[in-house]
Amino acid sequence: MTGALLEAEGLALRAGSAPRGRLLFDALDLRVFAGERWVIVGPNGAGKSSLLAALAGVFTPSAGTVRVDGIELASWSPPALAERRAWSPQFWSDPFPATVRETAALARERAPSWRAMLADAVDGDVERVLDRLLLGALAASHVQTLSGGERQRVAIATALLQGAPLLLLDEPASHLDLAHQRLLVDVLLGHAAGGGAVVASLHDLNLAWDLASHVVVLDGAGRAFAGPRDEVLVAARLGAVFGVAIHALALDGRARFVVGAGPVATAVGQQSRGEG
Amino acid sequence: MRPAQVIVCTAVAAAVACAIGVLAGSSGFGLASHDIVWSIRVPRVLAGFGAGAALALAGALMQLLTRNALADPYVLGVAGGAAVGALGAMLLAGAAGAQLSEWGVAAGAAAGAAAASALLFGLLWRRLASTALTPAGEASTALLLVGVMIGAGCSALVSLILTLADEGQLRGMVFWLLGDLNGAVHWEIVWLALAVALAIVWPRARELDWLARGDAWAATLGVAVARRRRAVLLAAAIATGAAVATAGAIGFVGLVVPHALRRVGVRAAALLLPASAVAGGAFVVAVDAAARTIAAPLQLPVGVLAAAIGVPSFIAMLLQRSAPQR
Repeated sequence: MTGALLEAEGLALRAGSAPRGRLLFDALDLRVFAGERWVIVGPNGAGKSSLLAALAGVFTPSAGTVRVDGIELASWSPPALAERRAWSPQFWSDPFPATVRETAALARERAPSWRAMLADAVDGDVERVLDRLLLGALAASHVQTLSGGERQRVAIATALLQGAPLLLLDEPASHLDLAHQRLLVDVLLGHAAGGGAVVASLHDLNLAWDLASHVVVLDGAGRAFAGPRDEVLVAARLGAVFGVAIHALALDGRARFVVGAGPVATAVGQQSRGEG
Repeated sequence: MRPAQVIVCTAVAAAVACAIGVLAGSSGFGLASHDIVWSIRVPRVLAGFGAGAALALAGALMQLLTRNALADPYVLGVAGGAAVGALGAMLLAGAAGAQLSEWGVAAGAAAGAAAASALLFGLLWRRLASTALTPAGEASTALLLVGVMIGAGCSALVSLILTLADEGQLRGMVFWLLGDLNGAVHWEIVWLALAVALAIVWPRARELDWLARGDAWAATLGVAVARRRRAVLLAAAIATGAAVATAGAIGFVGLVVPHALRRVGVRAAALLLPASAVAGGAFVVAVDAAARTIAAPLQLPVGVLAAAIGVPSFIAMLLQRSAPQR
């Protein structure tokens, strides 16, 4: 028993389902403990979503093992695993009318009582999470009428209300405005401080710096760098991975990354992808 | 409306519809002779209720499975198979110089429905197991397309049979295609199918709410995606096949009833599935009572009247929906 909520060992992923698909990365090891926030960054198509899905157990890695609470994913009973980890995908379908309140509570009531269903009973925890994500006023609105950012906050509420300590979030901030991005970081820091752990993919490097205790950088060309934030999230590596000049500034004790006007550093990721 | 109120209203409507169905007749409204009530009207009400319930249940299931509010039992192509089977049986019996009994037509329809279901499952077996990470790769689109193609093939066969049939057979065939409870004396099979279908899907109805949001997401909540989706498709095929074999292809029940229930607040599948069955049964019984009385002694096909009511009410619902819902 290691005490880690989530462990990946020798994880290798290939794009698509074909066994000979493009290698995304190889031999990734990570151990996520309670209180930690792991952020995955990397170019489009580098395998961020696939990595999260593999950690969640809904995408088969080409090599390696994933353990939750020290137990391999295949050995978990799926309903018991749902108690321990929640996965929030990048895409949702909302084919039928449903209120924000109903959608947020979807994964919470994995076996809802008849009384709750028939009476539309108010659940205090649901209201609290909706308020925390500034969705209280929208609780009775239909999800089909929401803006992209509002829908995304509902998805975060759904994941939080599943009640699992380990949150795997695929681009939870992609539609959020600046203020709601800060709100998300606060909510996730609070979740981790309460004994949970977060693994999330983000595109905004500054947001990543603010949220992360640890970072995984995927270069999309076969390599993954994982470790404590200040060792991994460094400007030179980011510049090489994204193929743009990136500078780090210090502002109020935080690192801020800005994209420079200078020449593209070394577009490692882009070149190798062209070859592959 | 709260879901509990909707459930009570639906049950009351079903009781009223059944009472009207038993009391209404071509000879006027009221209790007829013992024989007419027990050997004609009650079996007909039971058959209509069972067929309507099975169709509305299948419609709700297909909408959940394909994530499409416009799906109905007929997108599966199972009803098309039933039509080919029923009309094929009539044609063959006619060629042999025999008059086919109601049971013979129903058996043909059931055989056709089973054949179409087998084809559907054969083509989709592997796709039903997919848990794609993006909406585009999911099985719901493949399901719709394969079902629609089987249906299109079946309607070509139906046209062929109608071309080959002689004058005397055509009338019976067309009535069957429109949906007809006239000869529906066997109500037991559709009730059995309804019970089997509900037993398959109801205990794990919550999982259907999750599957509608995303395959992979449902899998992370503990849903055995492949098994659940195949079970739902099987239940829908059984319900549709039995309903169509009993009462012909009554349209609009499977489309309108789940849609209307959702609009009044019944959205959780655990409530929607049984509520659809009860409301669908009530709808067909009421429409059938009207169909055999408003132009008495002429009996209108129940499918025609269902469409006459279903089309304008569905359009009204769609127009209302475009209004902002905040």
